[in-house]
Formats: sequence, C-alpha cells, structure tokens
Amino acid sequence: MPAIDPITTQVIRNALKAAADEMQISLVKTAHNPLIYEVHDFGVVLTDHLGQILAEGSGLPGFLGCLPSAIVSGLKVVGAENFSDGDVILTNEPDDTGTHLSDVVVYMPILYKGRLVAFSSVMAHWADVGGVTPGGWCPDSTDVHQEGMIFSHLKLYEGGKLNTTLERMILKNVRFPELVHGDMNAMIAACHTGARRYQALCDRFGADVLQASMEAVFNQSEQMMRRKVAEIPDGIYSAETWLDHDGIELDKPRKIKVTITVKGEEMIMDWTGSSEVASGPINHPFVETRALGYCLLKSLTAPFDPMNQGHLRPLTVTAPPNTVVSPVYPAPCDSYGYVGEMIIQLIARALSQAIPERCPACSYQMFGPYFFRTDPRHGEPFIFIDPVDGGGGAFPHADGPSALIFVGDGDCPNTPAEIIETRYPLLVRRYALNLEGAGKGKYRGGFGVIRDYEMLEDNILMQLMNENTLYPPWGLFGGDQSGVSKAIVWEGTDHEQVLTRRISYFGPLHKGDRVSARTTGGGGWGDPKERDPELVKNDVLNGFLSAAEAEKIYGVKV
Amino acid sequence: MTNQRLAIDVGGTFVDFVLFDEASGEICIEKVSSGGKLEERFFEGIERLGLSLTDLAMIVHGSTTVINTIVQEKGARTGLITTQGFRDVLELGRGNRPEIYNLFYRPPAPLVPRYLRYEVPERLNRRGETLIPLDEAAARQVIAQLKEQGVLGIAICFLHSYANPAHERRLAELVAEIYPEAHVSISSDIVREWREFERASTTVLNTYVKPKMAGYLSALQSGLKDRHYTGTLNIMQSSGGMTSGLAAQNAPIRTLESGPAGGVIGAAALGAKLGFANLVAADVGGTTFDVAMIHQNRPLEKAETAVNRRPVLQPTLDIISIGAGGGSIAWLDAEGGLRVGPKSAEAAPGPACFGLGGAEPTVTDAQLILGYLDPQYYLGKRMTLDRAAAERAIETKIAQPLNLPTTEAAQGILRLAAANMSYAIRNITIERGHDPREFSLVCFGGGGGLFAAALMRELEMARAIVPVNPATFSAWGLLNADYREDLSRTVVKPLKELRLEELAGVISQMEAEATEHFDSHHIQAANRAVELFADLRYLGQEHTVRVPLQADDLKDPLFASLRTRFDDLHEKAYAHALPHLSVEFVHVRLSLIGLTQKPAILEMPKGNKGGAQKAIRKVILMGNDIMDCPIYDRPLLAAGERLDGPAIVEEWTSTTLLLPGQTLEVDPYGNLILHASH
Repeated sequence: MPAIDPITTQVIRNALKAAADEMQISLVKTAHNPLIYEVHDFGVVLTDHLGQILAEGSGLPGFLGCLPSAIVSGLKVVGAENFSDGDVILTNEPDDTGTHLSDVVVYMPILYKGRLVAFSSVMAHWADVGGVTPGGWCPDSTDVHQEGMIFSHLKLYEGGKLNTTLERMILKNVRFPELVHGDMNAMIAACHTGARRYQALCDRFGADVLQASMEAVFNQSEQMMRRKVAEIPDGIYSAETWLDHDGIELDKPRKIKVTITVKGEEMIMDWTGSSEVASGPINHPFVETRALGYCLLKSLTAPFDPMNQGHLRPLTVTAPPNTVVSPVYPAPCDSYGYVGEMIIQLIARALSQAIPERCPACSYQMFGPYFFRTDPRHGEPFIFIDPVDGGGGAFPHADGPSALIFVGDGDCPNTPAEIIETRYPLLVRRYALNLEGAGKGKYRGGFGVIRDYEMLEDNILMQLMNENTLYPPWGLFGGDQSGVSKAIVWEGTDHEQVLTRRISYFGPLHKGDRVSARTTGGGGWGDPKERDPELVKNDVLNGFLSAAEAEKIYGVKV
Repeated sequence: MTNQRLAIDVGGTFVDFVLFDEASGEICIEKVSSGGKLEERFFEGIERLGLSLTDLAMIVHGSTTVINTIVQEKGARTGLITTQGFRDVLELGRGNRPEIYNLFYRPPAPLVPRYLRYEVPERLNRRGETLIPLDEAAARQVIAQLKEQGVLGIAICFLHSYANPAHERRLAELVAEIYPEAHVSISSDIVREWREFERASTTVLNTYVKPKMAGYLSALQSGLKDRHYTGTLNIMQSSGGMTSGLAAQNAPIRTLESGPAGGVIGAAALGAKLGFANLVAADVGGTTFDVAMIHQNRPLEKAETAVNRRPVLQPTLDIISIGAGGGSIAWLDAEGGLRVGPKSAEAAPGPACFGLGGAEPTVTDAQLILGYLDPQYYLGKRMTLDRAAAERAIETKIAQPLNLPTTEAAQGILRLAAANMSYAIRNITIERGHDPREFSLVCFGGGGGLFAAALMRELEMARAIVPVNPATFSAWGLLNADYREDLSRTVVKPLKELRLEELAGVISQMEAEATEHFDSHHIQAANRAVELFADLRYLGQEHTVRVPLQADDLKDPLFASLRTRFDDLHEKAYAHALPHLSVEFVHVRLSLIGLTQKPAILEMPKGNKGGAQKAIRKVILMGNDIMDCPIYDRPLLAAGERLDGPAIVEEWTSTTLLLPGQTLEVDPYGNLILHASH
C-alpha cells in the first residue's frame, strides 16, 4: 500500500470527477441523436478495475447506478484477464444494465503498464435497437425479444481493431443506422476520453497511489453515509401503491411495495410484496430497482456531493425474483419507466415515517401525448412526442414546485409553443397552470399544466402515456392526494371524451379538433388547517384559490 | 485639450479607474472601494485621479448595476401582458431538472407574480399572420389595471411577435397613451427570436432593471454635467462592444455581463499586439475566477445566457465563472475532504489576514503564510497583513483536523484552488473542440499573477502572460471596445425552400435599422462595419451553428457554399457532418461595429534599469522545503530582462509568482511572459 496524503487524495478525487465531466462533454459534443445531446438521456461513469464507481457525470441518475453492474457482469462473462488495451464492449441485457434494450452500455477497460486499472463506461438511449416499436418505448410487447437486439458483452473493438462483421450486423438491424453509428462512435469517443484522462493521472501520481487514494475516498464517503443513516431513527418503514395496468392485461392493477429497515448505520430496502412479473412491458429490472435505491438514499442524505462507490455501501436492496421490480428473462420491460417513477416516490413515502423533514409528497406520474401521421396518403408523415410537465409533491417546508418534468426524465426541457407550431400541423391554444388537482395541505402540491392543441390538418392519430389514475399521487401527514392527469378531446361538444388511461391509438383527429392535455399536481404535505394564512392570501391574490375555497379548505378569511 | 479617455470598471471589491492619454500614451490607474453608493464611488475615483473632466473625450463604463439588481432581486414592480392563453408561460418555463439528486429542486420564482400577469385577446401564427386581431378595448382595460396595481414597468410578450411585432408595438402605443410614466419593453425590440419563455424572461428582466439602471445612469449624467463634462458616457455590453448611455437605458439587459467583458476584450487586444491569436483569458478576482477563450483573435460568444437560471437571449461573451479567488474560503466537508470555495470572505470581513474580523482561512491567507505575499507591501503598503491571524485560521480549521503541518495545509488549499481553476479552463476549451495546450494564458485581476505559473503547469501550457497593471487590466480592456449593436431575426425554413429575395429582404431591413443606429451614434462612414451571420442546423436538431454570411451567399439561390461551410463548421464543432441531410435556416444575425481608436500599447524605454531585485525571502513552494526566493520590484524590471524561477515580482496592486524550472521574460511593452521551461 503506497503512502497517501489527504491533499493528494482530494486532488485525485476532483480530477476523476473532472475526467467524468470531460467524458460527458465529449459524448454530448459528438452524439448524433437529440435524445443524447439535448435530452441528456445517458449516464457516464468511471469505475476502478472491480467496477466500483470512482466518479460520474450528470446524466440520468437512474443510469449511473446501472453502469457498475454492467461492468461487474462483464468481469464475469469476459473475465478480467481477457480485457486488453483498445477493447470496446457493448452490452444491453436488462438483467445486467437495469433498463430496456434501447439503453446500450459501451465500456472500455483502461490498462496501465499492461495492468487492468479501471473502466470508462457510457450508457445512452440509442435512436433504435430494432424492436417492434421504433425508438424503444413499446406499450404492449410480451417478451424481451420483441423489443430489439440483445448484446451480451460483445467486443466491437478488440485490441483496438474494429470487428466490422459485428458492426455491419448491428447497423443492418436498426432503423436509423446513421444515427446509431454516430451515437456509437460518440460513446466510444467518450470512453477514450475517460481512459486518456485516467492514464494521465496514473502518469502523474502512479496507478497504486490512485487506487489507494480512491479506497481512502470510498472509506470517507462510506463513513459519512453510515453516519447519515445512523441519524435516521431505527425502524421498519413500508409503503405501497398500485399501477393501473401493464399494457396487456388492462383490468389488472399491479402492486409495488417496499419495506425499508433501518438498523444502526445500515439500511435494507426490500421489495417483497410487489406483484408477480407482468405480461406487458412495465417490468422494471432489478439492477435499476437497486440503482434507484442508491439514488434516493443519496438524494435524501448528501444530494450535492460527487458520488462514488462508498456512498452505496450502507444500503442493501433485495427483491424476490420474477416480480415487477425484479423480472427474469424473457420478461418484457420496454416501458419500465412507470414503475421507476413509483419506486422513487415510494421510497420517499416509506422514509417519510422516519425522516419527515426530508421527504416530499408524491409527484405526478409520467404523462404525454404523441401526435403522429404515418400514412403519406393522408399528408406529410410526422411524429411529435410531447412529455407534459406536471406538479411536484409538496415539500415538508414549502409548496411543491409547479410544472416540472417527471423525475425520471431529469434535465429534459419541454417544447415551446412557437416551435411546435413551426414544426407540426398543430396550434397551441393555451399553455397554462392547471389549478385543479394539486393536493391541499399545510404546504400544497405544485400545479400541473394545461396544454390545448388544435389540429390544423386531417388524419392525425394520438397515443397517450399515463399512469396512476386508479391510485393518484398521495399526500403526506394530512396533506391531500392530488388528482388524475387526463386528456379531453372535443371538449364542449356532444361527443366530448375524457381520456385517463394509457392509449395506443386514438383518432383520427381532423382539422379544427382540439385536445386538452391536463396534468395533475403533486400531493400536499401536512394538515391544510395549519397552512400559513399569508400563503393562503397569496394564493387568493394570484388566483390559485377563490376566497370561498380559502375559507372552506384552509379556514382563512380573505 | 480633449484627448483623454477614462475607463471605469466596477468589481466586487474595488472600482478600478484607468485614464489614458492619447497624446502621451500615458496611463494612470486608481482604485476605490466599491462599497456604498456606486455613483458616489464613480466621482470619488475621478476626484482621486485629480482629473479635469473638460480634458476628457470619452468615458467607458463596465457596470454591474444590472446583474446585481437581478441577483439581489431588487428590481422594480413589473407587470407582464401576454397573448390570451399564455399568461403563465413565465412561470411554466421549460420544466427541466438540472439538479438530478435534489428532491427539493425548484425553478426560480417568476419575477412577475401571477396577479401582475395579464392576457389580451390577439394571436399571430408562425408566419406572423393575424389569426385574432389585437382587442384594443381589452388592452386598454388591462393597462388601466396594471396602472392601478402601481407597477413601474410593463413587459409585453406576444406569441410569434418575432415574426411580426405589429401587435406588440400597438400595445406599447396604448401604454404610452394611458400610463405614460411606465417603463415599457416589448419583446420584439429586445430580441426578435422564437421561444416564448426565453423571450418573455429576457423582456421581463429588461423591464425589471430598467428603472434602477435609468436612475443610476441619470445620476451619472447629471454629475458629469455638473462637472462640465461634454464627452460621451458609454456602457460596456455583454457582447464586448459598447453602447451609448441612452441605449443602455432602453435595453439595460444588454449590459448584464458588462463587468467581466472588459478583461476579455483587453486580452484579445493584447494578444493581437503580441502576436498570440489563441488565448485563454483568466481573471482571478477576490470572489470569482472568470475564464473566456479567444480563438484567432476573436473572443467566443454565445447567443444566450442565464442569471440564477433565468434565461437571457442576448449575444454574450462566452465567459464561465467559478467561485474561486483570493477570498475563497477553505473548509472541510462532511467527509473530511478539503474544499476551496465557492464561498468567499468577500470584502468584509475578508481573509483572516486582513484583520477585519475574518476567521475563515482563505486562499490569500495560504499565500501569505507560504511567503508569496509581503505582509508589509500588500496593495502597495496601503494595507498590512496579519500573518498570525492567517496561520491561526489555517491551523485550527484545516491543519489540525487533517493532522497536517500548517504549511502543508496551506499548500493544499492552493493546489486545490489551482486545480479547480484548471478544470474550468479545460472545460471551456475542450467543450469548444480545442486543446488548452495550444493556447497562451493571459492571467489578470488582483490574484492573476499568483496563479499563472501553477495554472500553466497544471494545464501543460507553454506560456502565460501577466500584463502591465494586471489588477486594473479589465478597466484598461474597456478602452479597447468598439461600438456594437446586435440585431437578429428568426427565419425558420429549410434551406432548400428559403428564397433569396426573402432573405435579402430581411437583411436589408436589418441594415436600414443598423444605419439608424450608426447615425444616432454619429459614427462616420469609414468607421462602420457590418457582420452578418446565419444560424443553421440539420433538420430536427435543436442546437444551431453560426456561419458567417458572405456577400456571394446572397447571389446563389441554392446557397451551395453556405451549406458547405455549415457542414465544415459542424464537423469542427461536433466531430461529424451529415452532408446528405437537409439543413434548416433559423436566425439571421447582424452585428454592426463602430470602430473606435484604441489605446496604443507602447514600448518601455530601453536600457537596463537595474536594481530590480530588492530582497530575498523564505518561501515554501513544494513539499516542506523552505527556499530562498529573490523578490523583484516590477517597476524596476527592464524590457528583455529574464528571471529564472523561483522568483516573485511585486507591484502595488499585484504579485506574480514564478515556480522553479520556469522562466520569466519582460517583453518590450513591460508584460511578464512566463515560459514553462528554460
């Protein structure tokens, strides 16, 4: 063990974080697919030679916890001794990578003086992986093979030499080969960036000092996390909710349940009690179930510290196999995100019993219409996917945030009306806060939004993403639950329809037809009667509440 | 004799004054504390310089009034009028979550609360055609209500007004009629580009700061008038070009990044003179470290920026700031890891060694106890530093908890500060497709000279320049600014469908507007320059690439050369081009430049002055070894003189450190050029 000092350790820690950021810059700069360079639907991680996280970039939090698992699995499948300098490996098996096939992992072993010292890795949403639904978010697949090609630790480059056969095979089996090729190369470039930076640090400090320093950092982070967990009162905390359906069995709600045991400085998150694996694609692979557990523990205790392996050590996540939160091959899992959203919210709900001051109430669930026209006989084909922002759950110390995208979509911005109208045959008639459905409380839930679209041409079809309409987002500690997101078609006519459930095809809609998408708010926090009268008055002033409602709900005369 | 020009640059701790005499080339500098009322500091500095304002032809002012008003949320009560159905756009924003682990993330509250946001019936489509005419009766009512509410400013932002400003202009006329005292901003005047939230945000911010900026500028104008000043008062803009006080009063948001712009413009000017076309300009202040990149003599710009996550669509020098500077506080995080910044001890209480009650260890304290600063010579003896206080702060807060000798803890603070700064430089260069090793570093600001050597080493850069008067270099930079106005138009169309006449029509409108601006600034024909750019992208992309438009582009209906140049620039910026994909035209941009006369950079008198080495001091540079380090007096260094590291060069506002193995050369103009090796 080489001697290390606290300053050098800190310099190395920051340098590795900077290296991960540089990988991310390289990826975003060179990717071809807007899901990567605009939506930031990716994760970037540097690990040590065992797959332990050294540093991460800032993509989707759920992805970051998946990359180490992919590498640990690669160490088993490929074998540590079989990695050589210049290898580039592809993998996307949900059992290893945690999400759906579209999220492909590219990783690269980093060798220094002939020794395996680290891995650089990127996980990103490809434009296509050749499944039944273009782009990957199939609402009704029944096994994983319908969802696309599966890569199991395939060496695209071996010792720096491209396997052209494999490359041709991949590019022949995806719908947008140019985009996929570009993204694949961008991910490889990012891995190379990470490798170069790591090797430069080895030159400067020595590979052994690097490793020993990071072990020290892991220990520091672990100790801090253990202290933070120890501050959480010991106990057993559980929470459950139900999803509407799995896309295939439409009348069968699916349960998700978590039991969190806090004992001293350890935490166990167990998902026993969740429904058995679903027939449709809402299954949520275990690796991601675990990753979201890490993610939430970090969010609740040390949200702003750069993450490393040490932060994960106090937490154990378990789930019985063959459930919606731990499916086994060949279960479908293309639209795993609905469960993912609820996993995040449920962990906070369970822990609110122990650390109420750190847990927000439930936020709205993912929602959004797709408008599309595929048949050129009916007009120019287009597809417009519009994930709609909604209300966040109330905080223990403030109202919930209004009009934010659901947690799992991270840093993804909405599309402005002026851009929608320029690109698609739609007119946005209204984009406003939806004052209905935010849970009341001492602190109220954030508001969802209303987005009114008018068709400017004929023969437009609509698909609708929605969930949690049977069991809406909950409030905490006496705060009300919120409402249900919905779409109203032909509002105010004799054929008005209110759509609340997930729908694969609706329409056709014609010129002049209107669709009003309305997301719900978040749940409330605390008893409405305890709401600060000043906040009530402010809500009345801003038109969020009528004077009569203020008196009735909050007991405040305005 | 009116041949003097004065630059006034407001910083967090000091207001810097640089007076330039065109006849003699002589430069005088002055610094006053930036506390209290800025207009008073402004005249205090002028008095300290002993300046008669009748000798002065021009004042250029780098102002922080706008940014401070926004950051402190101390702007005016403002109302907003929007298209019916879009009252909440300002509050809805873009809905993204930039802090991925923060369960309590919340976007900034809208600066106009909902009850001061009103709608009027009117609607244009994307081509600017009227779907619903402006309802003037409803508009009158809304204006009356806002008047009743006592707003000082009214912002107006209608959908698609970038394509046709008629409704916004008519509404502004109605405001002028009904509520003439209100400060009005219409979005199509501030930025003629699409994206309703960003345009509304920019317009609201402009309205929000207008009364304060107007008050400040009129206080300056009247103070100047009282002192019989007849020259012009110009304000630096975020773009790095200056504008008249009047224009700044109408569109104050354009001066948002006025403060740090001077240093970048100065670095570009200095680089051009010295023959260094590619530079990283690094301003090490008390609180922040500001970095910008200059590529082929041009500072890089961006079309959009943000303050506290509130977007601003305005051309802005691409400057990134991190919380690292002389006053940055060193602390231990929950894991026991050493951190430096972003919190700063600021001017009060300041670093522990200032003896003003600061107990937190800072970068300056570390530099003092390692011997880089002379406690007797700080700010040219205007201040004495308390070494014992510095030691005590580092000892108790850092060294003891980490179980390190105090000097090692101090070195750790400086290593981490330098490393953080180097990551900022790495990011800004590689993010734009460049390798920092191919750039020269210009280091200025009060702390620039102390970090130049370490940054150069950290980034493997071959050369660093510490200019003459580094502490007031930003103010000097202001004197190098040209007049500049930026116009833009959104013209969204696939390049294949864009008609030549349409583009030419838009450009000639913009040129007519440009001519008016030039005339109003009395800029002579010979000094006028117009630059045109097109923002293009591949169909389906969000981000655009800016391509300079050439005269020949307006002769080719197929835009073949424009298309090829776009592919080339895309390749350069993003490492790939897609020549078979359709390209979309998004914006036309026009920059009009009114050239000004720049301060000459004069050679120092030749000949060895001698006697620059004034002392030898014990310093600790690496490890725990105490070394003898020669100390030089910068004013006594002669052109061509070379020093080998280690060495310390002192002047009244700044100190430059040279590490062992590095060499320093005094160039003919008096700049210190640091080289990585002999």
